[in-house]
Amino acid sequence: MTTSKHISGAHALALSACVGAFTLLSATCLATPALAAGGLEMSTDYTGITAKPGDTLNFSLDFANQTGAGLNTSLSATGLDDSWKGYFEGNNKEVSNVFVKSGADADSNDGLVTYSVTVPDDAQKGSYNVLLHAASAGEASSDLQLTINVSDETTGTNQLTTTYPEQQGASGTTFTFNSTVQNNSSGAQTYSLAADAPTGWTVSFKPNGASNAASSVDVDAHGSQSVTVTVTPPDKVAAGDYEIPITATSSAQSLSQTLKVTITGTYKIDLTTTDGTLSFDANVNKKQSVPITITNSGNIDLNNVNLTTTAPSGWTVEFSESTIDSLAAGEKKDVVMYVTPSKDAMSGDYAMTVSAQNEDTSLDQSFRVTVKTSTLWGVVGILIIAAVICGLGEVFHKYGRH
Amino acid sequence: MSIGTSTQAAAPDAGKKSTGHLLKKIVDWFMEDDDLLPGETPESHATNVRTNRRGMAVLYRKELADHLCSRRFWALFALLMIVSVASLYGAIGSLRQTALAAQSQGQAVSEFQFLKLFTTAGGSIYSFQSFIGFLGPIFGIMLGFDAINNEQAQGTLNRLAAQPIYRDTIINAKFLAGATVVFLTVFSLGGVLSGLGLLLSGTKPVAEEWARLVIFLLLSGVYISVWLAISVLFSTLSRHAATSALSSIALWLFLTMFLSLVASGLANAMFVGTHASAQDVISAYRVQTGINRISPYYLFSEAASVLMNPNVRSLDIMSLVEYQNGALASYLSLGQSLLQIWPHLVAMIMEVVIGFALAYISFMRKEIRA
Repeated sequence: MTTSKHISGAHALALSACVGAFTLLSATCLATPALAAGGLEMSTDYTGITAKPGDTLNFSLDFANQTGAGLNTSLSATGLDDSWKGYFEGNNKEVSNVFVKSGADADSNDGLVTYSVTVPDDAQKGSYNVLLHAASAGEASSDLQLTINVSDETTGTNQLTTTYPEQQGASGTTFTFNSTVQNNSSGAQTYSLAADAPTGWTVSFKPNGASNAASSVDVDAHGSQSVTVTVTPPDKVAAGDYEIPITATSSAQSLSQTLKVTITGTYKIDLTTTDGTLSFDANVNKKQSVPITITNSGNIDLNNVNLTTTAPSGWTVEFSESTIDSLAAGEKKDVVMYVTPSKDAMSGDYAMTVSAQNEDTSLDQSFRVTVKTSTLWGVVGILIIAAVICGLGEVFHKYGRH
Repeated sequence: MSIGTSTQAAAPDAGKKSTGHLLKKIVDWFMEDDDLLPGETPESHATNVRTNRRGMAVLYRKELADHLCSRRFWALFALLMIVSVASLYGAIGSLRQTALAAQSQGQAVSEFQFLKLFTTAGGSIYSFQSFIGFLGPIFGIMLGFDAINNEQAQGTLNRLAAQPIYRDTIINAKFLAGATVVFLTVFSLGGVLSGLGLLLSGTKPVAEEWARLVIFLLLSGVYISVWLAISVLFSTLSRHAATSALSSIALWLFLTMFLSLVASGLANAMFVGTHASAQDVISAYRVQTGINRISPYYLFSEAASVLMNPNVRSLDIMSLVEYQNGALASYLSLGQSLLQIWPHLVAMIMEVVIGFALAYISFMRKEIRA
């Protein structure tokens, strides 16, 4: 084990010497930006780097000193404007000078200083050159040109995200999604918000902090904005899955996400008279027909709806159709109810209940029945009075002695 | 345009004319004969008819003036007015307490407060409705008990009959004048009480309350007219005014106070034995009510209670069961209330007509020479 370690160590040494020789060769032959003079040489492994706006790049600088004596070297960088934040760093401190030891201790000069530079947020795409300059008090100095390629500014992860993009609820539920628009570009963006909802659905966007719904949001560079998306299905929505793609579009970006809403089925049934009232008149002991309407106001078809009643005793209530085989969602059905109040019913109001039910749902509807006494006896009374007055007339004739 | 207007104007006129014509025919059929008497020419017949008609008007006015100028009438009228106003005060007191109690419990005062002014009894006094039930007959008897026999006793009936009028004009005019006084009195009482009630209680009557009040007053008039007809009958039957007055009052007392005892006794004897079933009790009650309804007092009380309390829905005993059977507490419409009391009204009108017809026959067959 130890032997192989030694061997590999020696091999590594030889390799690094080769690399050093190659670097030296390339520096002289290909006229790379690293220019050494007077035995001082400043170098780094990768002199050209691609970065995104906002990135911070660290160049580890190696120094070689062949003057035979240590050199106190001052460091400077030129070629970038003030928006680029660049500095030299050593031992976690910003440094301006470095002491480069002489040849024998050359290994310790590797990575002696790091040049750190931050690409400005608003940097345009392109190639930027920075020239590092190391100069000792004597003649020895070294220049190193670094090239920073600022890549496409939108490669950042601009995105539209939603915490819970799939929700479920009964019809009549209003769904609320919490979405976030993330702008990683280097410029503020105005996103217009839109949704491609099915017909009848309403989608509104409300940025956090706003009091009203908005159709667009401003997002700062590298910022994000939460948006509350409210999705209201139509009243008569059928059960099922619905997809609502929402988009946030700025002049440079187009972000989108698909929200999913699952409408669960609701069973609901309504019953009223055809004219909408819950009261009707009926005569004592006389069949009264009352047209009623049964509505399936849920979003699932109903089968075998039975009509039953709770009426005062002695009353008879019949239906033209006491069982409705099938009632589609949203459909109405007209049925005639025949109510016969008992012969003992008195004038005035009575309560009766009509129930519509099937195995899924039921509804009890109370009706107020105003029972009326037939005017037949009133007519009989008038006839009796007329007869009596005729009798009086007869008496006048017979005994009048005119 | 002008033609259209003129035809429209002409149409109701023609209708009025035909109605008047029809009315005249009915009156003619009642009061006069087209048949000529022996020795009568059409011209003299027409003269006789005119004379009789004028005689009717003269007698009617004279009888009306007699009533309105008599101390007897004014004494009773004042009595009725005083007790009515007193009953109104009593009613207002009771209603105020009820309203305050309702207010303290945060409830609304029920509807038809104005009608309650006439039907609510005070702490120590009857309601107006009860007073009409009790004192109305006395008023009717007062107007009619000496209608014929007093004329006979004073010897004026002979002279009256010697005038060129038909004999039945006398009793017709007397009864009509009496009935007129009855209705005048009832409506003036009602008017005074309504006015005072409005002033003192501040309740605002709605149209239906006015209608119910007017029908109630008409009902009261018919009720008192029953007693007028009975007393006129007695006045033709008996020679002395005292006899007819006492007979009328005896009949009044019997029908008002004792008939209910007879009815309950009779009904219990018929149906309720030692093992009376519920059906028996109901039958007994129905028989008892049926007998009671002979009495105009009972008829009037029932009819007035239905008319003045719109929440009274039925007079049948089984209506109590109906409330456990889905009936809701509610007000009856005026038409339905009227249908409930229509038989009562018909019965009372029949009693008036039959009473008067009997008096008429009795008077026409009477020997009126002194």
